[in-house]
Amino acid sequence: MERTDSPVAHRANTRRAVVAAALGVFLAGCATNAPQDVFQPKGPNADKINNLQLIVFPLAGIVGIIVLALATYIFLKFRDKGQEIPSQAHGKPVVEITLTIVPALILAIVGVFTFRSVFDLAETADTEMVINVTGQQWWWEYDYPAQEKYGINTPIITSGQLVLPVGTKVLLRETSRDVIHSYWIPALNGKKDAVPGRINILRIEADKPGIYAGQCTEFCGLSHANMRMEAVALSKEDFAKWVANQQAAYKKPAAGTKAAEGETVFMNQCIRCHQVNGMKRDDGTPVIAAADENVYAGAAPNLSHLMTRNTFAGAMFDLLSEDCRDDVWEAKPEEFGAKYLAGVSAECLNETNLRAWLRNAPGVKPMYSDPAKLGPTGGKYRGMPNLNLTEDDIDKLVAYLLTLK
Amino acid sequence: MFSSGSKYLLGLSGLSLVAAVVYAFTVNPSDLGAIAILGLMVVVGFVAGIGLHDRSGDVATVEEAVAASAPAPRDSAWPMVFALGAALTLLGLATVPVVFLLGIVAMVAGGSEWIIGNWADRASVDPVFNNDRVRARAIGPLEYPGAAAVSLGIIAYLFSRVMLHAPKSAGALLFILFATAIVTVGFLVGYRPRFRGPVLAAVLSVGALVLVGAGVTTGILGEREQLAEASREDFYSAEHRECGEEEGKHFDHHANNKVNLRSAVLATVFVKDGKVYAEAIGLKDKLDTITVQRANNTNIMFRNLDEKEHRMVIHLGEAKVGDTGAVEKVETCTQLTGQDQEQVLTVNIPKPSAAFKDGYSITVPGAEGEVKVVVP
Repeated sequence: MERTDSPVAHRANTRRAVVAAALGVFLAGCATNAPQDVFQPKGPNADKINNLQLIVFPLAGIVGIIVLALATYIFLKFRDKGQEIPSQAHGKPVVEITLTIVPALILAIVGVFTFRSVFDLAETADTEMVINVTGQQWWWEYDYPAQEKYGINTPIITSGQLVLPVGTKVLLRETSRDVIHSYWIPALNGKKDAVPGRINILRIEADKPGIYAGQCTEFCGLSHANMRMEAVALSKEDFAKWVANQQAAYKKPAAGTKAAEGETVFMNQCIRCHQVNGMKRDDGTPVIAAADENVYAGAAPNLSHLMTRNTFAGAMFDLLSEDCRDDVWEAKPEEFGAKYLAGVSAECLNETNLRAWLRNAPGVKPMYSDPAKLGPTGGKYRGMPNLNLTEDDIDKLVAYLLTLK
Repeated sequence: MFSSGSKYLLGLSGLSLVAAVVYAFTVNPSDLGAIAILGLMVVVGFVAGIGLHDRSGDVATVEEAVAASAPAPRDSAWPMVFALGAALTLLGLATVPVVFLLGIVAMVAGGSEWIIGNWADRASVDPVFNNDRVRARAIGPLEYPGAAAVSLGIIAYLFSRVMLHAPKSAGALLFILFATAIVTVGFLVGYRPRFRGPVLAAVLSVGALVLVGAGVTTGILGEREQLAEASREDFYSAEHRECGEEEGKHFDHHANNKVNLRSAVLATVFVKDGKVYAEAIGLKDKLDTITVQRANNTNIMFRNLDEKEHRMVIHLGEAKVGDTGAVEKVETCTQLTGQDQEQVLTVNIPKPSAAFKDGYSITVPGAEGEVKVVVP
């Protein structure tokens, strides 16, 4: 038997490790359940990027292989074996001209396709719908300006999930309330930075109904990795239903129910930051959140119709239990709309996630919300603090939040 | 081991420490005040340490002390300053804070000088020795910087009166003349020994007289008309309130007419043929409603397409006036803008539209219609 610490065995082990690593990398490219795969476009804008990739990547790959092969050949062939240093000659015009012209030609070819794609992606003249996208630590807010064509008479506001009609050229007007973020739904288009004080535009369009995952791609602080987003594409009919529901008036929970008690807890605790449109006090005055007084970014997610979304806390957690979530995510395009519009029922609610969040939000998502360390932000939170709610309060709040559909 | 001087300085250092602790607990531990008092403690403690080390705080040698008999304190004006300070402090409590602060300063200065002078006068029978060796050593490190700060404050105040009265175009020239005079005198003092003494005193006296005369005169005459207009038009308040159709003499003076931030504008408000409308990126129609993200710095451009000059006014709800209980409308506006010219306003609206019964809106005085601003 060969000794494992012999040089031969060591080389064999190294070879096996290299092969295993290369095989792993190769197989990773075959994953089918990769929702952020840039090679699986689901809309015309992402298609344009993919088509460009199909030209640029093979060219870059061939050039890379040639360069590496030549470098390896030269490394092995001319390595120092004690031979004399060859005579040194200055210049070789044929080689120099060839090595200038060939890369220039390759770059020119790549440049033509790249510029064409860049200008195509920047086209906005035929925009059909506008949605404002605002980033802040560590969640995305979406608001829909009034657009009669889509039945949006009163601006809609939501967060976590961007809902859009399929086959519609949607223009995102992006900005940020605090630091630079970057919006990226790989299946629908490339990245676009959201910069405070500026409005950057990005066009997206989805071919089929479904959910498309994304991720903030500009480092933006402690929970950057947890700043996710999802784009939900609905058929035009389903989108109209979604719009109608988002504009529906607030329904106060029936008196005497646990949900009604939850509304009181909400008014005492959550309203300091979270707005629920249409909520009123007993005297009829509207209840207005004061996020600008408590949160560094000046805003917290508007929770109107919360249970029509599938996620919360910057799309980090599912509101749906695993089975119900899979049921929506894996639905056929023709069934997707109905399943998504059903929202979150009591049976499908992922209570574990929601209760953990209500119990101690910074315990499950890193945020700057320690009351003793708010000096740099003038006493304002970045993220949700631990409200020290009792289990009884959490029960009531869960019952109330379930009514926000 | 402990001389009178080092005892005094150590006492002052200890008192500063106590004051800093009291300040930190009663006011704010991270406030500059606490840091200043702690700084005083460190500095005085350091000086006391030096005094202890080389005994420079000794009032006199043993022989000198023995030679000294019990002297009577000299006459002093400081008790009057202290009394004036006490009076001003009481007056300030009933009138304005600045009088109160002046009173405190006078009390501290007069009291310190009185106590130190009295203490020094008992050191020996020689008044010169008492004043130059004892009093000057004890109070000099505080007296000179204090006098310098007060003098500089008076000079800055008098010069600022001159600058606020003089025409804007003369400001740079006055600054150059003032700086040149200081540098010239400094140069002469450094390189011309004959310039020192009576000549220097005469020059400084003339300079002081000129500055005091000019400062007092211009202070009485008041600020130049341009600044007076700005104050009358409330130009310096956060929410400028002269947003009517009429022209403001200061506010609309030299209006900016071109802006350079197209990519950062959420919406553009136009006035054309006397009517107001808006346009926004991506929306093709003329709009009578725009949506603005709450709690976000948002640029809104105004472009006047009419011959008549117009300004854009953004109505931002209402706000309470201090603790009076009164409520006033909050609005902000551009300057009067000529035909085909444009201006930008940056607003940050923290509350959703539902916070106010009438919501938010944009109007152009003298033109029809309004653009509703919805903050979801």
